[in-house]
Amino acid sequence: MDQRLQNTHVKLLAFDLLSLTQTPTFSTSDPITFTRKNTTISRTEILGVVTSRELKPNKFLKFTVDDGTGCIPCILWLNHLTSPYFSRRNPASLKLISDMAAHFASEVRIGVVARVRGRIAGYRGAVQVTVSDVVVERDPNMEAFHWSDCIRLARNCYNVVGGAVERYRVERETPTCARKIGEKGKEEG
Amino acid sequence: MIKLKKIGFGLCGSWMAATAIKSGELVTLEELNPSSPFFKQGASLRVTGKLQEYTVETAIAVVADGNATLKIDTQHLRDISFRIGSIYQFIGELLIQPDNEAILQARVGRIVDGIDLRLYHQSLQLLRQFQADHLNNSTS
Repeated sequence: MDQRLQNTHVKLLAFDLLSLTQTPTFSTSDPITFTRKNTTISRTEILGVVTSRELKPNKFLKFTVDDGTGCIPCILWLNHLTSPYFSRRNPASLKLISDMAAHFASEVRIGVVARVRGRIAGYRGAVQVTVSDVVVERDPNMEAFHWSDCIRLARNCYNVVGGAVERYRVERETPTCARKIGEKGKEEG
Repeated sequence: MIKLKKIGFGLCGSWMAATAIKSGELVTLEELNPSSPFFKQGASLRVTGKLQEYTVETAIAVVADGNATLKIDTQHLRDISFRIGSIYQFIGELLIQPDNEAILQARVGRIVDGIDLRLYHQSLQLLRQFQADHLNNSTS
């Protein structure tokens, strides 16, 4: 499995993101791995219209982003100051993270176009994005640019990474003599 | 009536958890004719057009793109002002009336003044092609 996109915020359209392959793992930090064409993906960048919003103050903000190809559920955690999960973190940096999350939550309103980056997670069998940052886009052409970006990156980068790995795997698994015969056959043909 | 309000702007948590929000399929107004595959009762669509008319009493707007027009029911929208001549984008469900006239019951609306509609339409074609290629590759 190719890991080269592991730490990249991969720009994906919703239909593509929602159809990633999910594989359970034994890791407690990442209980599910997500793959696309033999490439592991853990982070994503999406852009679309916010179409729903559910706020639990000081706990979380759940919202959906509709990019025209699908609807992506997102969760923005707002519990940094109360959850024991963060108890070992530096209080000053926690306060900053918490303030930042509260700011993002105030920006996410129904009807705005949001560019969301975050970690891909699974919730009740479906893909969900655990939000790390949000930018509200004011330029109405930004969605068309995002579609073009996703298409270009998929064709020239994301598909190629997995394809290259697949070719490499076939070469490794095919005995050298069989490959040579195959190549010779091609030359003769 | 209360349920409809929830579909609008203040989506209730438990309601949201129980019902997945449908994506509004991108469609141009010219594609929305009775013979089009998008022209289906209850279809979730996203449309873009210039505001031609708006009636305050009924909250019905009419948007146009080229020669095509569509009625939009905006009664569930909040925090949006209507200016004739501005370009709007709406996401909602299509209601086809007995006389075969369609009206979009909007749940999301926004002003998109400054949008390059030619770029938008071209990008939409590329997007559809990419989606179709992706689907073909994953099924073959």
